[in-house]
Amino acid sequence: MGMGRTTWGWPAVGLALVPALFLGLVMLAPLWRLALEARAGASWQMVAELWRDDYLRWRVSWSFLQAGATCVAALVLALPVSWALARFHFPGRALVLRLLMLPFVVPTLVAAMGVLALWGPRGWISGWIGIDLQDTPWLLLYGNLFFNLCLVVRAGVEALGQVSAARVAAARTLGATPWRVFWRVEWPAIVPWLASALCLVFLYCLSGFGLALVLGGQRYATVEVEIYTLVAHELKLAQAGVLALCMALLTGLIALAYAWIEQRLAAPGRADAIALRPPAGPGAWCAVAGALLVLGFFCAAPLLAIGIRAATAGPDAWSHVFDEESLRAIWNTLRFTAMALLLATVLGVTHALAARRSIWLRAGAFLPFIVSPVTVAFGLLLMYPGWSASLSMLVAAYALLAYPFVAKSLGAALDVQPEHLTQAARTLGATPWRLFWRVTLPLAMPSLRRGMAFAAATALGEFAVTLFLSRPEWATLTTLIYERLGRPGAGNRDDALVLAAVLMLLSLLVFLLIEQPGSGRRDAAFGRAGAARA
Amino acid sequence: MQRLGERELRVLELKDIRKTFDDLAGGHWVLAEGLNLQVPSGSTVAVLGPSGSGKSTLLKIIAGLEPQDSGTVSFDGVDLARVPPERRRFALMFQDFALFAHLNVRDNVAFGLVEQGLGRAVARERALAMLVVFGLAERARFKVWKLSGGEQQRVALARALITEPRLLLLDEPFSALDAQLRAGLRDEFAQHIAQRRIATVLVTHDEAEARAMAQRGYRLTAGHLHQAW
Repeated sequence: MGMGRTTWGWPAVGLALVPALFLGLVMLAPLWRLALEARAGASWQMVAELWRDDYLRWRVSWSFLQAGATCVAALVLALPVSWALARFHFPGRALVLRLLMLPFVVPTLVAAMGVLALWGPRGWISGWIGIDLQDTPWLLLYGNLFFNLCLVVRAGVEALGQVSAARVAAARTLGATPWRVFWRVEWPAIVPWLASALCLVFLYCLSGFGLALVLGGQRYATVEVEIYTLVAHELKLAQAGVLALCMALLTGLIALAYAWIEQRLAAPGRADAIALRPPAGPGAWCAVAGALLVLGFFCAAPLLAIGIRAATAGPDAWSHVFDEESLRAIWNTLRFTAMALLLATVLGVTHALAARRSIWLRAGAFLPFIVSPVTVAFGLLLMYPGWSASLSMLVAAYALLAYPFVAKSLGAALDVQPEHLTQAARTLGATPWRLFWRVTLPLAMPSLRRGMAFAAATALGEFAVTLFLSRPEWATLTTLIYERLGRPGAGNRDDALVLAAVLMLLSLLVFLLIEQPGSGRRDAAFGRAGAARA
Repeated sequence: MQRLGERELRVLELKDIRKTFDDLAGGHWVLAEGLNLQVPSGSTVAVLGPSGSGKSTLLKIIAGLEPQDSGTVSFDGVDLARVPPERRRFALMFQDFALFAHLNVRDNVAFGLVEQGLGRAVARERALAMLVVFGLAERARFKVWKLSGGEQQRVALARALITEPRLLLLDEPFSALDAQLRAGLRDEFAQHIAQRRIATVLVTHDEAEARAMAQRGYRLTAGHLHQAW
């Protein structure tokens, strides 16, 4: 009479087949085809030749360098910021913690526009300091930090929340100063969390496309941009294949490191967390103010800049939002997102449920994070050339990039759902299906909603895949912004800024509508607390 | 739903139950070896044992939530090997109450009735009547996490009893409560169970609690049950 998680019945096999088939067809088969393309047109000699090419060697080196530099900068900045947020209770702290999610919702091109509004030609800060920062690495690094600083800060706050108050107290009574306590007790406890976050940052920076394309310029674009150029403009498929495959292998290695660290983190949280205290004295207030300033400078400023620049762009730029072209782009963005979200939800739910029985399937949910959108799109083009501009392929590619958010969020909620609840429901007469419908799903609903909200945000802001697989009449807001940016003149730049503001508002609106902050969280927390008490 | 007649003798019988677990070192941990137990209709039997002795697993085996390696669990002479937990009509009350946080108090109590096919409105009506008996009527629309520990415990018992189970399984029912509340609730629970004459298996590590509630008691040691009274 098994309730055991390792038993496989036909329904479980059916569940597992849905995401497994999808992953196989939309990701693994195209990757395999990519490998064949690289092998047919190239060899190890070609890899060596690519490496001897000064231009390509610089592209690869710079890709790693910018990812590494972002990691270092993010760590240095995030450490004091997360410490201040984790230890001090101040008015608005909850809001700040919530706003840390914002960069995860903002589309890449919106962020790029924000960076340009501050640091680009005629940008606020670059105009104020009188230095043109175009074609310097700063733009890309700043853009990277906008997205990734919040990720590391969130990891830091969470990690510091796990530090045992008893251990800190013991260290203090043994003579350690607060500074020594940090290095000898808190730092060792949070290192794995930070390492895990930094692996993700490295991965995102290495496989990122939109930021590098818009902010990197000629000199500081990354390999992903190079692959796109080789495929879309130079038609050098074999060379692009070799590069894409090398990058997929390297990102795969980093992902393995991430998975290994994550596994080590899978320990229950501490009950004796250090209590928050109000900032007392000028030092504490300086720490809080400094943290807010850093977050404001790197994470809020680009969004504010877009908002203000768009608001002051003038009626001409705003009137273009109602052009046939813009309205069609908004419509396309919304309908592609809706279709992708539907598919991503089905895939995410089936994947999360099936992954409870299979460690391999669980790891599979991470696969779409490993391979860059450019590689996915390139692989799909090679594998299914007849469908290269079909709606089904476009939606499938969107769903591939979006559904891991649903699968991981729901999977995490299912993992912590107390077994006692399901057992109680069974003894009260619920069949497995009724149990899922009446207990498991309602309790996991907040997490499912959150996963869907991230999936929707991903689809809304999708850029790389759309650029590869879309038809001209399927332009979305992101591709329209990019197209307007490519046109000369201040008017077009203003149009792009206004469209970026529209996309930002749309993303926030969709995210908030789906996630519905606060709903059901206390229910889920009660269930977990009950289990912990037992 | 048929209520048990006074002279009807329904018996839970565990025969030669063997249950082992693999431990992390690669060895076997024997929870039960040739374990036998009989619970007559209307009586309460206590199983005593320290934490980790396998008492809770024994209840899960009876409820059908955990398979035994060998041996039989039968009720009224019917082998339950192929009867899933939802069809056994054994109500298991958990140490942490296992209340459904997404449902209010009334809907928690009505849960089992809905699963038995009763309409939601009728089930809610009956749940409300049950809550009156347990002195919780005014809490009917509360979320369960707004209740005190004692109130949650009462809701859990009301939810278990409303389905008129053939057998009640109590897993350390009072361990999450403070001493004062525990004594009061113990008497209240014993009264509710006695009124309904439901066969009950109580597992606990507290002998005083066991003696106060059960007519017969066993100790679970080294995989065997030894009668204590």
